[in-house]
Amino acid sequence: MIDPMFQTNNYQLARKLLDVSVLRHEAIATNIANAETPGFRRMDIAPDFATQLKARVAAGDFAATSDTLQPRLAEDQTARAVRPDGNSVEIEHELVAMDRNAVEYDYLTDVVTYNLKQLKMAITGKSL
Amino acid sequence: MNLIAGIDVSAGALNAQKTRLDIVAQNIANAQTTRTAQGGPYQRQVVSFETELIRRADGQSLQGVRVGGITADRTPGQQVYNPQHPDAGPDGLVTMPNVNLSFEMVDLITASRAYEANLSVVKNARQMAMKALDIGK
Amino acid sequence: MASINLINPLSAAPLTRIDAPLPKTGVGFAGAPGAAPTEGFSKLLDNAVGTVEGKQVNAQDMTRKVLMGDSDQLHQSVIAMQEASVAFSMMIEVRNKLVDSYQELMRMQV
Repeated sequence: MIDPMFQTNNYQLARKLLDVSVLRHEAIATNIANAETPGFRRMDIAPDFATQLKARVAAGDFAATSDTLQPRLAEDQTARAVRPDGNSVEIEHELVAMDRNAVEYDYLTDVVTYNLKQLKMAITGKSL
Repeated sequence: MNLIAGIDVSAGALNAQKTRLDIVAQNIANAQTTRTAQGGPYQRQVVSFETELIRRADGQSLQGVRVGGITADRTPGQQVYNPQHPDAGPDGLVTMPNVNLSFEMVDLITASRAYEANLSVVKNARQMAMKALDIGK
Repeated sequence: MASINLINPLSAAPLTRIDAPLPKTGVGFAGAPGAAPTEGFSKLLDNAVGTVEGKQVNAQDMTRKVLMGDSDQLHQSVIAMQEASVAFSMMIEVRNKLVDSYQELMRMQV
């Protein structure tokens, strides 16, 4: 009886995307730390995650606990080398990406909070 | 257990950049030192970074940075004709340290920027963790 | 959401039963004015439920669009979520007051 309460679609989606957001932050941290490492290519979430997630949502499958769809880190193939040694990290780009990621993370936690609050209100009959 | 995302990577990078800043400061301070304890002029020190692999909890590994070593730059310094200098050789030439101030300043600025960038990564990560603690409230 | 549907049956049944005997007493004053307020109450709750449902569906739609990357209107999504939350709160308050007043009525010694 308890589990179906937490099956709301956007809630599941937001939970999964929170994982992605944290992983992306770690990728950005790695990129900034290696801004001068020779030959380092910038890392980001592998693009196949987004396509697979879209396919699942289109099919209506929202299970957040499924371990089959985990985000992975991979080299960003679209980044071009900005230094002669092949390093493809641009610090300004990374800082902007980090800010954007932080906003996304805040938004996702808001979505999760909203869903949880709705449930609490419905259950306790007390408006928060 | 890392509650703050990517903290190991950023901590390593912060450490590395700080060491680099220290060495740059040392180089600038000794730009005119013609007599060291080992004899001979001061030799510019260079910090080299190396990659360290940091494992995440789910098995993926991140590429972090750490100081690989601090070595002396062996290029010979400029020889300046100054017979009155106490360290002048018999031909009146003084060997100055191989510290080029403009290179050191550029290094200083680069290291500072890198340090600040990594610091803002840590701040951001901490903010994200605090926001996570407020979920549902 | 299943919870809203649970609230719906509450509005219809007991209030119309309070409503039903009054017009037949023929005393004169309990006719039309007696019918209007209680009908008003159930209508009020129905409207509230309808509004809340509409706002929640709107909020879910906007949120879904932003989550999937089809829209960058973050502020609209957040506003929609807050509106839905406030509407839900209001509906709960209305329901609570209705339940309280019903119980108050039941406690009245006739």
